[in-house]
Amino acid sequence: MAEKKAKKTTKKQEAPKMATEKKPAAKPRVGVFICHCGTNIAGSIDIEALQEYAKSLPDVAFADNYQYMCSTPGQNKVMDAIKEHDLNGVVVAACTPRLHEPTFRTASKEGGLNPFRFEMANIREQNSWVHMHDRKGATDKAKDAVRIAVAKAALLEDLFPKSVPVEKAAMVVGAGIAGMQAALDLANAGIKTYLVEKEPTIGGRMSQLDKTFPTLDCSQCILTPKMVDVGRAENIELMTYSEVENVEGYIGNFDVTIRKKARGVLTPAEAEAKGIVGGGCNGCGDCDEVCPVIKPNTFEMGMKPRKAIYIQHPQVVPLIYTVDFDTCVKCGLCVEACGDKKAIDLEMQDEFVTVKVGTAILATGYDIFEIEKKDEWGYKKYENVITSLEFERLICASGPTGGHLVRPSDGETPKKIAFLLCAGSRDNTGVGKPYCSRFCCMYSLKHAHQIIEKIPGATPYLFYMDIRSFGKMYEEFYYRIQDEGARFIRGRVANVLEDPVTKNLKVMADDTLLDRPMNLEVDMVVLAAAVQPTRQADPVRKLFGVSCSQDGWLLEAHPKLNPCGTTTAGVYLAGVCQGPKDIPDTVASAEGAASAASIPIHKGEVELEPYFAQCREEICAGCGMCVNLCPYSALALVEKEGRKVMEVTEAKCKGCGTCGGFCPGGAIYMQHFTTPQIVAQIDAFLLGGEE
Amino acid sequence: MARTKGYPEELDKKLRDTRLYNEDSNPEFTKTVEKISMTIPHMCYQCGTCTASCPSAPRSSYRIRKFVRRALLGLEEEALTDPDLWLCTTCYSCTDRCPRDIAPTDVIMAMRNLAARRDIVPVNFLKTVQAIYSSGHGVPNNDVNRAARMKLGLPADPPTTHGFPEYIKGIQTIIDHYKLKERADKIIKEREG
Repeated sequence: MAEKKAKKTTKKQEAPKMATEKKPAAKPRVGVFICHCGTNIAGSIDIEALQEYAKSLPDVAFADNYQYMCSTPGQNKVMDAIKEHDLNGVVVAACTPRLHEPTFRTASKEGGLNPFRFEMANIREQNSWVHMHDRKGATDKAKDAVRIAVAKAALLEDLFPKSVPVEKAAMVVGAGIAGMQAALDLANAGIKTYLVEKEPTIGGRMSQLDKTFPTLDCSQCILTPKMVDVGRAENIELMTYSEVENVEGYIGNFDVTIRKKARGVLTPAEAEAKGIVGGGCNGCGDCDEVCPVIKPNTFEMGMKPRKAIYIQHPQVVPLIYTVDFDTCVKCGLCVEACGDKKAIDLEMQDEFVTVKVGTAILATGYDIFEIEKKDEWGYKKYENVITSLEFERLICASGPTGGHLVRPSDGETPKKIAFLLCAGSRDNTGVGKPYCSRFCCMYSLKHAHQIIEKIPGATPYLFYMDIRSFGKMYEEFYYRIQDEGARFIRGRVANVLEDPVTKNLKVMADDTLLDRPMNLEVDMVVLAAAVQPTRQADPVRKLFGVSCSQDGWLLEAHPKLNPCGTTTAGVYLAGVCQGPKDIPDTVASAEGAASAASIPIHKGEVELEPYFAQCREEICAGCGMCVNLCPYSALALVEKEGRKVMEVTEAKCKGCGTCGGFCPGGAIYMQHFTTPQIVAQIDAFLLGGEE
Repeated sequence: MARTKGYPEELDKKLRDTRLYNEDSNPEFTKTVEKISMTIPHMCYQCGTCTASCPSAPRSSYRIRKFVRRALLGLEEEALTDPDLWLCTTCYSCTDRCPRDIAPTDVIMAMRNLAARRDIVPVNFLKTVQAIYSSGHGVPNNDVNRAARMKLGLPADPPTTHGFPEYIKGIQTIIDHYKLKERADKIIKEREG
């Protein structure tokens, strides 16, 4: 049915295109509308002079100005003028097309014009804002911009967007709290969701935390119900120990190939499919007991051992053991211990599965910055210097020490603990990260509370530059922790030295409020290390065609107005992969992304902007050089009337122009950016309006 | 702005209004310091890493953080007349660790340059000029050092102007070009008579 619909739309749009090509274009009648944008534009550009100039241009039938063109009266001006002056082209000189192009396209359409007969001249972002103090220069530049836009508007053609059906399924990459929340929301909205996680279990960073600020909820206690929900949700297909291998297609029709890494263990369902009745892993752990290989457990930050066949922690979802084939010696003891369940297959190989989804959400999360790179704080050099994530595991009741915070050097309980905030964050040296990691202040306050609560007589010392307690009930939490006895020292730590005998640490900082350098001897140092995007974020974002900012965080479509979207239609961002976020913000972002990702699916079809490449078959020599150049695999050679010509799959074409620019015979043209249109714009600029 | 009440000098000094006023800041001073030092003290966020790294700070009233703050605020008089300006050992520990990638040592050096233009230099620094002029060394060789060098099997004098005194002339030409020795002699004479 979907196919039928697509065919129908293709036919419908071919008819008018032929018409515009054959029928000689009507004489251009362009209307120019100049926006004051309050004083944003009118403050530095002479609107009257610009309007008079516009009127003098060839093909301009009408010119007008208004305080705010984007307002309802402003739009009405466009609609009325189209009818009154029989316009067939509209130019609005205002802000960036990223803001109001859709607004004025709609206005043009409502005025009875094809929306692609509209052209925007940016005289705000690229003019009045940058030439605020040069009225003459800015006005001259605005005249250039209007002249260029009019030249293009005179040659614009009617275009018709193409609709493509959307697959009623979504994918979420990463199953931390962001990915889980997004998947649950999508699933609850009736959308089949594939949740892909590289680790053997879902849960992510949040499952490693002991408590959460400012409510002091036990992290696992609030997380595990969600993990269980994800495991049970009918609409969620969980793919743990899996990674995205390849992505093809476009919004509505992504074909995603997933590598299911060989985990060496069959689930009950997989066992049944193989005819092993009542078999498969039930998580009993008999294999774990007999396995002779011991390795550090990464979930416990390497502070607890695990076997070569393992689960990361008791609350894993799904409860399936995993064989670490990098360390497994294939002795077969586990296979014996497993017995009739026959869950273990030591010869298992990676599998590839391809699924079709309409939209995708990336929730790849974060890693801790390699804080040993800042060698002045002595991480990995002094035993009693640990990171905040190691602290979380040490203070957690299910952690390697059963929740007893101990010094790694001697197992003693530390009494004086220094917390070093901004460890590697807000660092412009090129070693650390220039941004604020955003949640370290708050979790360090929480850490201070935890040691006061658990260790009688313990004192936390927080070395800070600014305490950023910006969230709901966060400042109150700061007040409470100070009241509980935490010491706050406003100074960044310059270096940490170790007493080689006692393994105590000497923290050197400047108490800037006292204006006195200090040397504080403590039992333990906790580094609130900066966060950075995960190693896997980069390859995954490239597969989905998502950009990243300078510091590696995935780039949103707009930092304020479209924080969950990306520049790739149909791909969205959730959680920390877009930038550091605490848990409430991560969940909110995930819900936003899920909502955004569900919209095209619920609409059932998406409209693609008709900036497709088109092939003039009568000129095309069928050389096929464009086919390999196309970055979106949108082109193909087909046999037509006994010869080979190029054909565009319009839904895949992004209108980048690579093929059009290259075509040796000039057979390819880009809709809305045709060679005559671009040449007219260049001429209009270079000739300064002279014929 | 009236900051004094016209009391007798002693009392006036005691009761003088020391608040920071607009006119205390000279934005040109910030620019000049940045130009000479080729670093960015206006980006300082006062974390104190510099002072905490400073080997001079625990043993003196010298606070590098304060000088960077003065550079940022353009507090020219306060910076150039503070004798602490000359307590930096130029070890560059602060520059090594500054998270804002400022070179506080170079800020100090720039301020010393500006102070020197106004003849604000401690005598010991000027005597160093004299020592370099006469021997080519800020700290010339001495007998203890010579004995130590001999014990290590080294020549008593290093292969510098000590070993090649004929090159002292060149050093003197450079110093003369900037009239450094001349000024040093003049200032020392004024102060010590």
